[in-house]
This record gives sequence, C-alpha cells and structure tokens, in this order.
Amino acid sequence: MLEKALMADILARAMSKGADFAELFFEDKQLSNVVCEDNRIESINSGKEKGAGIRVVKDGKTSYVYTNNISEQGLLQAAQVAAHAAGGSAQVKPRDLDADRQKAEFVLNFRRLPEEVGFAEKIAQVLAANQAARDIDTEIRQVTAVVSDMHKQVQIANSDGDLVEDELARVRMTVNVVASRNGSIQTAYEVAGSVSGWELMDQVSLADMARKAANRAVAMLSARPAPVGRMQVVMHADAGGTMVHEACGHGLEADLVQKGLSVYKDKLGEQVAAPQVTVIDDGTLTGRYGTSRFDDEGTPARRRTLIDKGMLVSYMYDRLTAQQDKTTSSGNGRRESYQHKPIPRMSNTFIASGEDDPDDIIRSTSHGLLVKKMGGGQVNTSNGDFVFDVQEGYIIEDGEIKYPVRGATLTGNGPKALLDIDRVGNDLGFSIGVCGKDGQGVPVSDAQPTIRIKQLTVGGTSMADHNKIRRITRK
Amino acid sequence: MEKILRQAGEMVLDLATRKGVAAEAYLLHSRDLNIELRDNQIETLKQAEEMGLGLRVVNKGRIGFAFTSDINPAALTEAVNNAVAISAYTSSDEHNHFPGPGCVYPAIDTFDTVISATPLQDKIDLAREMENTARAIDHRIVQVEKAGYEESEFSLLLMNSHGLYAFGQGNYCGLHIFLLAQEEGDAQNGFAFMLKKKIQELSPAAVGEEGAQHALRSLGARIIPSGKMPCVMEPYVVTRFMGVLAQSVGADSVQKGKSMLAGKLGERVASSLVNLVDDGLSKDSAVSFPFDGEGVPARKTVVIANGILNDYLYDNYTAHKAGCSSSGNGRRGSFRSLPVVAASNFILEPGRMSLPQMISDIDKGLYITEVMGMHTANSISGDFSVGAAGIMIENGCLAYPVRGITIAGNLADFLRDIDALGNDLRYYGGRAAPSLRLGNISVSGS
Repeated sequence: MLEKALMADILARAMSKGADFAELFFEDKQLSNVVCEDNRIESINSGKEKGAGIRVVKDGKTSYVYTNNISEQGLLQAAQVAAHAAGGSAQVKPRDLDADRQKAEFVLNFRRLPEEVGFAEKIAQVLAANQAARDIDTEIRQVTAVVSDMHKQVQIANSDGDLVEDELARVRMTVNVVASRNGSIQTAYEVAGSVSGWELMDQVSLADMARKAANRAVAMLSARPAPVGRMQVVMHADAGGTMVHEACGHGLEADLVQKGLSVYKDKLGEQVAAPQVTVIDDGTLTGRYGTSRFDDEGTPARRRTLIDKGMLVSYMYDRLTAQQDKTTSSGNGRRESYQHKPIPRMSNTFIASGEDDPDDIIRSTSHGLLVKKMGGGQVNTSNGDFVFDVQEGYIIEDGEIKYPVRGATLTGNGPKALLDIDRVGNDLGFSIGVCGKDGQGVPVSDAQPTIRIKQLTVGGTSMADHNKIRRITRK
Repeated sequence: MEKILRQAGEMVLDLATRKGVAAEAYLLHSRDLNIELRDNQIETLKQAEEMGLGLRVVNKGRIGFAFTSDINPAALTEAVNNAVAISAYTSSDEHNHFPGPGCVYPAIDTFDTVISATPLQDKIDLAREMENTARAIDHRIVQVEKAGYEESEFSLLLMNSHGLYAFGQGNYCGLHIFLLAQEEGDAQNGFAFMLKKKIQELSPAAVGEEGAQHALRSLGARIIPSGKMPCVMEPYVVTRFMGVLAQSVGADSVQKGKSMLAGKLGERVASSLVNLVDDGLSKDSAVSFPFDGEGVPARKTVVIANGILNDYLYDNYTAHKAGCSSSGNGRRGSFRSLPVVAASNFILEPGRMSLPQMISDIDKGLYITEVMGMHTANSISGDFSVGAAGIMIENGCLAYPVRGITIAGNLADFLRDIDALGNDLRYYGGRAAPSLRLGNISVSGS
C-alpha cells in the first residue's frame, strides 16, 4: 500500500499542468483458480498484481495513465505523463487528503479469505463436482469445474481530498457440462459467486451444481427444437435477472443517456414499465457478486431505485456524468482494474418482488414459453432491442408445463417488454455474471421474481443491429 | 529491455533448477497508447506501461503456474515458490514438458520504428481526419460517438530450462470509429476499424468513409418475412463465424471431445471451395510474430484443403499427446495465464468471384452485413442463432436494408453450403476472410 504523503505528491504532480480533477487508483491483488477438466486437475493458476491508474480531467478531457511500476519514481513519472497529456499550463493544488470524507454504509466480513484456503480443499471440490456430474449419466462426455478467487487491497485518493482504503474478496465456482447422444451435443452450466471468502462453500455445493447442470444437459438432448413465433413468456425466478440487466439496466447508465445512445434519454418522470414493476440497483446487498463498500471512485455504494412502480426516477452515475447532470454520483463508477478508467456500471440490479404466486402465474398461462435458465445476451441501447438465449426452456400449454425445448433465442425491445409485464411473483432469484462494456468486464449480479411478459419473439428477433461493445457475457 | 527481462528469466530458471523442477519463464514488457475523440475533441487519452512474469514449472509431469507483475528478486522468488508448491497438486501427465532448444525463428518484420517516433499530435490528427472524413460524407452523419487511434508495443522473452531462448519485439497501430446516422426518426450505428503493422499504412479517410457508409446503408431498414434464402456475407461477418470455428479446430477441444470436428481428419467437412489456413507468419497481418507463447516457431498450417479437414492446431502438450509436433499455436494473451491452443492468423483463402458477381446470380436473397450475439453460438455443437442485419437482394441487385431478423443453423452445414468465395480477402486483426455465399440460410423475421 502507498504512503499518504506519496499519494499527495502524486496528485500534486498530476495537477502540475492544471486540471479540474485528479485521482489515483492503486490496487494490490492476488488471484487464483483451479480447473478440473478431462477427469483431472487441468491447471492451477495463482498470481499477484500491483498497479496504479492515474486520471487527470481537464475541460471534460480525461487523460489516463497506468503502470505496474509502483516505485515512487515510476508513479511520479506516470503522474507527470498524465499531467502533460491533459495539456494545461497553470498549476492547481489538490486538497489535503482526508480519510474521513467518505464513509461506507456497512462493513464486509470475510470469514475465510481466499489465501487461507489451501489448494487441497479447492481440488477436492472440483474433483467431487466432476464425479457428481459424470455419475448422472454415461452421456456426460466432458465436465469442466472451476473454483476461482480474488483478494485485493485498494487505495483511492483524489484532488477533492477523498482518501479511501478498502479490501475486497470475491469467490466463484462454475461447472460446464457437455452431453452427447448420436452426434447431437448439448451443454449446460451452473455458476455461483459472491463477494465473500470461501464461507460460500458452506452454503453452496459445487457437486450439487454439477448434478443440476448434468441433468439439464441430458434433458436437453431429448428436447424438441424451440418453436418460432410470438408468444407469452414466463420467466422463472431461477432464470435470474439477465432480462432486466439487458432490457433496461444498460439504458439507465448515465454515460449512454448523455451521449444520446439510450432510449431512456429525456424520460425521467415518465411511465416506462408496467405499474407492478420496480427496478433497483443496490451495491450494498450482503454477499452479492456486484457488491462493494465503495465504488471504484471512492463513492460509498448505495441502494437506488431506478424505476418506481413503473415510473423512471433515476439513472446510474459515476462522478463525471453526475457532474454533467448537476447531481452526485450514485456510487456506480466502476472499473475492471487499475488499467481502466471508471464508467457508470450496474452493481446488483433487480426487479423487486411482487405479490403473485409463481405457480399461479404458470397455471394462468394458456400457451407460452417457460424460461428456467437464461444464457448470455446483448442489447442495443440506442433503441432498446435485446437478444438472449435460453438455456432451459419448456412449453406451457393450458397452464401446465408440457415438454422441454432447446435452442430458443428471445428477442424483444426493452421498453416494450417492461410495459408488457403483466404478472410479478412474490419470489426472487439471483444470477451472476461478468458484464462487458467498453472493453471492461465487471462482476455483477441481477435478479427478478417470476414474471410474465405478454409477448416476446421466440427464435426470431427484432434487433436493430450490432453493438458489440455493450453486451453482457456470462462466463 | 532484453537485458532486464533476461536477468529476471535467468534468476527464476536458476531458482527452479535448484528446486529440482523444469521451468519456463515468459516475460513481457508492453506500452500502449489509446486516443479517443468524441465530437472532434479528445475524450480520453490513455497511456500504459506494464511488465510481468508468467512462470510455468513441470515437476514430475505436474504443471505449476504463477505470475507476478513485480520482477524484483523477492517477488520472483515468491513466484517460483508458489509455482513449485502448486505443482504438488496438479495431475501428472507424461505429455507435460517444454519445447527444446535449437529452434530456428523465421526473420519477419515485426517492428515499425516510425510508430514510436511519430509525435502524439500527428496521431491525434489521424483520428481527427478519420472523423472529419466521416462527417463530410453525408449530412445524415449526426454524431461520431468515438474516433480512436491505438498502438501497442511489446518486448517478449521466452526461456526454459531445456535451453530454449527466444526474444522479439513487436508493435502495431490502428484506427476505429463508431458513429450514428439519422434520418426521419431512424437512427443507425456505423462502425469500422483498421489494424496495421506500419503507421504509414493507416488510412484514416478509408476508415471514416467505411464507418459512415455502414451507418448510411442501414437507414430505413425494415423487417422481412421468415424464410430460407441464399445469402452473401461480408468479410467481417465471415470472420465472426470463423471465431467459432477456430475453437473447433484446436487440438485441445478435439482431444477433450469438445469439437464437432473431432475424428474427422481426412473427411470432407466443407465445400470443395474452402481452403482454410492458420499462418502465424502472414505478411499481411498486423499481429504476426516469429514464435508462440511457448517459444515454438510460428508457421503455416493448412487446416482445410479443398473442403477436406487436413489438420488441427496444436500447442506443445496436445502435439505430444497426438504424436506430432506443435504447430506454434500455444498462445497467450499476457503473462497472467497459461498458454492455450488458439489460432494465430486464421485465414479463409479467397476465391475468384467479385462481390457484384456473387450478388448478381441471386433472384431473391440477403446480403448480410452485421451479426449480433455471436458469443451465444455454441462452438461445441456448432449451433448458432444470431441477430442479423443486411440488405435485401432482388433480381441480382441490392434492393433495400433489412433489420430485425435472426439467422440460424449449424456451422457444419454452413461450411458445406458455401457455393462461392469472393476475391476480396480482408484482414481483421488475426482473422481474414473474403465475402462468401451460402446456398441457403434460415432467416426468421416477421
């Protein structure tokens, strides 16, 4: 970790050519992962990384320099380069650093930090998962089980005088299963992760996840191809919140709104969803994958209602976009690592639970698709068109779940889908993922209760076009 | 730089040898520059420098791996200790070993000194020229979301305890543009990019114009009814499909039963028009390099010859397991991870037809210019169902833009169904393809 005096020197150097804002982000992290594939421990990787990113903002122009040469000389040199690139002339003095300026709303307790858990234990987990999946059926041809973890110390200091020092641990378990029969191949995966230590292993069993994935892959071998056309879609809480993330989350990120690239531009105070729908982004939820005490600009994480009973009430902001809208950051300034500048991102995003009995939602559906598990997706925020694939889907007829279908793709328009939600269950299910935007991946979780959408296109699509940079990928 | 990296490499190999394990040091130093303009003003200027070690050890057939971004002696010692400790836990495998010394590396031009000698302002001006060209094309180009210049320069040293030693320096530069065209309430995105080995080869006007045309040609797009029809795909769209295919021809996927092409060597897997190669030494690619992430010389591998599956891509491990030699496809993105089997420059060789010829034979079909959600395609089964946009072909001519459709199928059928290849080969980073025509594709629309 860096000394306070050095951080102050770095900020002073960063502002030596004049600037509106300067910031130092320092990260010291260790990572490890254990991979079991092909019935053996395929690889174990562990590493350490330290680095700093220095940001200088002047007249809306950002200069960002990062380096992993964290010697005093290396950091001051980086600050000099950033100052020079910002291109001013008159020196500005940063405010004195004060660790009391920013206070988090909660504490994180890590009971079993990643480095305190030996490889032997992690190996036992992945081997058990491998066996559990293969025991399900001889049609299971390949199993990949992975446990990975990260533990980091972060320091954020800026020219406003904010000084935040924090630590975070994050763990994740995934299993991918391949099943095949007569040349036909189906895959399935399960993932669990949280901002916590390995106490997650006490709550979630990787072997159970493996059995679940294996059963699904085998079941999908017998599934019929998904039908094509427009129909009612029931999204089970177990499917997680990919839809809310895609259908409206990205469009509520302030940078996209301000650039005129969101359908939700100029819609504050308007009805943008059905009245049963409340959407919340909350970085403070205990243990969730997108949780942190502070965002990556040192702003305390918060709970923020984005859509309140159907009405758009707020966007998600980082510092720069908040300034432009003359408001304050909502604690959504996030970055993948010291190698990236922060931008507005979601944390844990969800549709709040409603009042309907989930089983009753299915029983009251005459013909439609039940989505039990979602895959990856993508959204074009300019017009709200989204696409995502369905990992596990069933046809509902006359209120009964009839048979599984494979290869379904759901396409629709975010604003329209939110207005078309006609039932909201009293349950809530989370999923996790790594969300990609502008080439940066950040961990997020999203959730929804069981909901019904009056109409979506299955297999077809109403996408406008590409937009590779704004997508969520699930790995 | 070679000296600094070499000292670190020698130290870790020495420490590892004393612990009785074989070792391989991958040492990378890189510098990157990114300039992003928005509405002709600099939005972000990013400069980076990093260095690191990826250390792999083999201990009685068991692999251990550790990385560090810090190459001072204490951190290097810790990395060696960690890698050796980890090797106690991984599975022993007779095929785990490092390539031997005595490799001859092809002399290829990988470094343009002009890139680093060019002043920053000139690079900013390249991005400005690109943006200005795009705006001047048509008044309907209402916004340039991003006009960017990027460059990367690196020094890579690979050495192992069998005596292998490889060092090289490389660099490349590129331009990219994202913009928005608007007309009568319709808004369409346009995107184009160019990656080059030499800065003089960058053509900002060409990238700007292409980005603008991509947005303009989509204005007023409509949905079409579902159906099966012939289609022509733009080279960029073809390279997106090749990304999925590249995973299927990797020997690790094949050996693990995760490839639809497993067990098909010598069989017809594609139309006889198809010749697909991986060429790590391609003169026209910006990312060619003399050796891979294990120090094995890069080379050309014929993957599909006249439609027959000829070879897979191998790293050292999968080659040893299969009883052949590595094709130089043990690739790494950084010092932070183990090498994996991946394509270097994956090239679908061009045919003889011009694009207008390919289109003129079609009564009713689709010219596909965009695909969306390609990451949802399944490289194991080959199934894909992706969003698409393009231009309707009627009576041999481009008729009107189309959006709101899905194209679906299986990559194995896709390969067999290719009935024409264009003469317009184009590189996009490490992939290259011409336009191609499929006899039939399933389109889901209204």
